[in-house]
Amino acid sequence: MISQDILISYIHKTMPDAEVSITDRTGTMDHFQVQIVSAVFEGKNLLDRQRLVYQALNEPMQDGRIHALEIKAKTPEEAAAA
Amino acid sequence: MTIDEEIKKEVEDNKILIYGKGTKSMPMCGFTKETIVFFNKYGYDFEVIDVLRNVEKREALSKMTNWPTLPKVFIDGQFYGDTDILDEMESKGEVEPLIKKAFATEN
Repeated sequence: MISQDILISYIHKTMPDAEVSITDRTGTMDHFQVQIVSAVFEGKNLLDRQRLVYQALNEPMQDGRIHALEIKAKTPEEAAAA
Repeated sequence: MTIDEEIKKEVEDNKILIYGKGTKSMPMCGFTKETIVFFNKYGYDFEVIDVLRNVEKREALSKMTNWPTLPKVFIDGQFYGDTDILDEMESKGEVEPLIKKAFATEN
């Protein structure tokens, strides 16, 4: 289990400009859908974007506070266009 | 044979390869099952290798791909993450040509 603001603080450590929206998929605070909008994704393919997010959340994933993560990683332009 | 050599051989020997939890007939995890369903749609042959209880191999795979979770999908020797990635690629019509190319180069 992890609270959303701690999850967001992990993301902001490596992506300070990130706009983060989180959905708790199962109500158990450990299965999340995370949408992150950050300029750091520019020029990166999907795989590398997800790697960045996994690295940012490596600690809570390794210690089991996060069980499952669905990641939507967008650049500001992509988010605006959506 | 070392774990890395074993993985390398498995990746080369299978056009579509899923490292996951459980087997093709008995997947032990929702995400592995989702990946099997994903590839069943295309009707091409694919292999599922169960690494649920093989911690050493899971760590080698995570290090090699810089990707912490299972399942891990390889197509034609290339790593493509999981259905999060493949669903997005499929929505852009990138999966089918990739699989066709993999099976076209029958060596």
